[in-house]
Amino acid sequence: MNPIVGIAVKDVKTFFREKGTIFWTIAFPVLIMLLFTAIFGRDIPFNANIGIVNEDGQTPITDAVISGLNSTGVFTLRNFTDRNEALRELNATNVRAVVTIPQNFSFDLMFTNHSKISLVVDGTNPDVARLVEDGIKNFFTEYYKMLYNQTYNMTYYEPITVNAETSFVGQRIGYKENIVPGMLCYPLLFSSMVVSTGAIVYEREKGTLKKIRASPIRPINMLFGKTLAALFQTAISILVMTVLAVTLLTPRLNWNVSLLAPIMFLGSMNGIALGLIISCIGRAPQEASNAATTIGIVLQFFIGMYFPIEYLPIYLQQIGRVIPMTYAAQAIRDVMVRNAALNEIVMPMITLTASATILYAVGVLLYKRWVEKE
Amino acid sequence: MTSEKMIIEVEGLMKHYGEVKALDDVSFSVKEGEIFGLLGPNGAGKTTLMEILCGLRRFDEGKVNVFGLDLVKDPYKIRSLIGFCPQETLLYDLLSVRENFAFAASLYSLSSRKFKERVEFSSKFLGVEEFLNRRVQQLSGGMKRRANLAASVIHDPPIVILDEPTVGFDPNIKREFWELMKALKDHGKTLLLSTHDMYEADEICDRVAIMDEGKIVALDKPLILKKTIGGEASIRVRVKDDQVEKALKLIDKYNHIAKDNEVQVFVANPWETMPEISKKLISQRILTEKVEVVEPTLEDVFIKLTGRRLTEEYK
Repeated sequence: MNPIVGIAVKDVKTFFREKGTIFWTIAFPVLIMLLFTAIFGRDIPFNANIGIVNEDGQTPITDAVISGLNSTGVFTLRNFTDRNEALRELNATNVRAVVTIPQNFSFDLMFTNHSKISLVVDGTNPDVARLVEDGIKNFFTEYYKMLYNQTYNMTYYEPITVNAETSFVGQRIGYKENIVPGMLCYPLLFSSMVVSTGAIVYEREKGTLKKIRASPIRPINMLFGKTLAALFQTAISILVMTVLAVTLLTPRLNWNVSLLAPIMFLGSMNGIALGLIISCIGRAPQEASNAATTIGIVLQFFIGMYFPIEYLPIYLQQIGRVIPMTYAAQAIRDVMVRNAALNEIVMPMITLTASATILYAVGVLLYKRWVEKE
Repeated sequence: MTSEKMIIEVEGLMKHYGEVKALDDVSFSVKEGEIFGLLGPNGAGKTTLMEILCGLRRFDEGKVNVFGLDLVKDPYKIRSLIGFCPQETLLYDLLSVRENFAFAASLYSLSSRKFKERVEFSSKFLGVEEFLNRRVQQLSGGMKRRANLAASVIHDPPIVILDEPTVGFDPNIKREFWELMKALKDHGKTLLLSTHDMYEADEICDRVAIMDEGKIVALDKPLILKKTIGGEASIRVRVKDDQVEKALKLIDKYNHIAKDNEVQVFVANPWETMPEISKKLISQRILTEKVEVVEPTLEDVFIKLTGRRLTEEYK
């Protein structure tokens, strides 16, 4: 048997005999996918508790406001009779905002064409506060437009009308279609790196690396064997994640396997090469494993898995743009969301190939240097 | 079976670990088909020397030739000619013995036909047949060691390097292992083994190099080493603890060394003197546990050469 295949077969067999490893290899994508399905599998992926204090009493207008806020799906309303009680709940963060409909709200609106609503938002979470405030303000703007149209039987025009359109290359996407390509980067980032990190450091710890090094196999071939096994294990993670994504989230995406497979391969190779480098540097398995996990956790914020890298400050965006996995995430998204063809993902593919080659070469050099140090 | 052809030639080998000289001008040759022993206490440089020969460590100066190939120029060719059996069991616990063999064979690019032949031969020859399909984690210590040795020679190498192969074994398994090594020799293998067990070196090695502080201090057949350096035979007397003083008074006229309840007497002709000493001890009613003539051992050789025992470690 060829020594490269021999090493890969040995590693894969060992993998299949380690029940804990198999469990976590499958459990990891399953957990991630279930979590993301629960969060993003809905049409509206945001919901906040809102306290309503109606001091105006029951009128057709207040009824319409309350039922309108309820029907947005973004808010879950809790009715309060006492405003102070509602504000206490706000301070306890049991509600994210308190909307007070003051006395004479309906009357003022009908007869003076102007009324006020009191809104107090929980500022402890700026993101949630902004979403809640914008949501409620938008609701009342739209409500007023509707009321105006009904009352005067004519269309309400804002002083400046912005004609907003959304451009889609491919199909119109929702939250889940946005998140699935990012989730498929998980195995590239974590599985590949963690598996290959263990590749050398565990052999070294157990002493079996001595046996391999005493044989005529060259260092590069040893690393190729390890890479083959790591690719196999990463492929299992990708497969599990893909099956779960398709069955649980049923996203409307372009599953162009002939383009996605090479991107996944190149992305995995980058992760594996990075893992090999960590494996050569780390002295103990625990150290190497911690390093791989830490690097994986940090990198996921840079590569545009969850959110576009434009969310990052400029200097962090620059870092994101030199991380190869960013190009894998971009290429996967381009193919799945934009139906990109091969000629449109050539640049990310070239970047991934070049970075994998460089990282792999560094891994080989580090391994050789370590061997020479011995 | 031993020929005069030298297949391992080491010349002026030097190896430093920082300021420490691990190997200091080591030179020796190993003949084809012999069992060559490196005897010395822990830290003498045996493992470093073996690991250099296996390509696991670099050396600073000197020359190593194996089958005429230069270790620096042809390391991979040389590695394919050597089977390395370290003292620790380097097998994968979750794989069966056969799977471990398959992995070891793949490292040497063995064809599947040759592998089949070798597994059949090794499993019978080294007695691993009965547990060939069992996972290593289910094997006893002795079985693991046998499987470890079998995995080291699965590619049928002409040279087998064994680093303290029987350390930690009980006497029965040790003896069984010695027989395996002798059998390997009978099959034409050249064995180079390191040990700090003088009996092991004496029992199975054709020639022994005694190592101390990174140097070879003596090299020859065990019998010659014992005769030329170990000194003459002596009489060993062991008495009951409370009789030591009485016994020493009797033995005082002979050249002797006493330690605890044991006295070693050095005389020109121990076989003639032993009955005389026994008679004296009996007449004085000194209770003896043992009176015997002891031949010099490799331990004596080591003590004579270094002033230390083989079991002492370097500080």
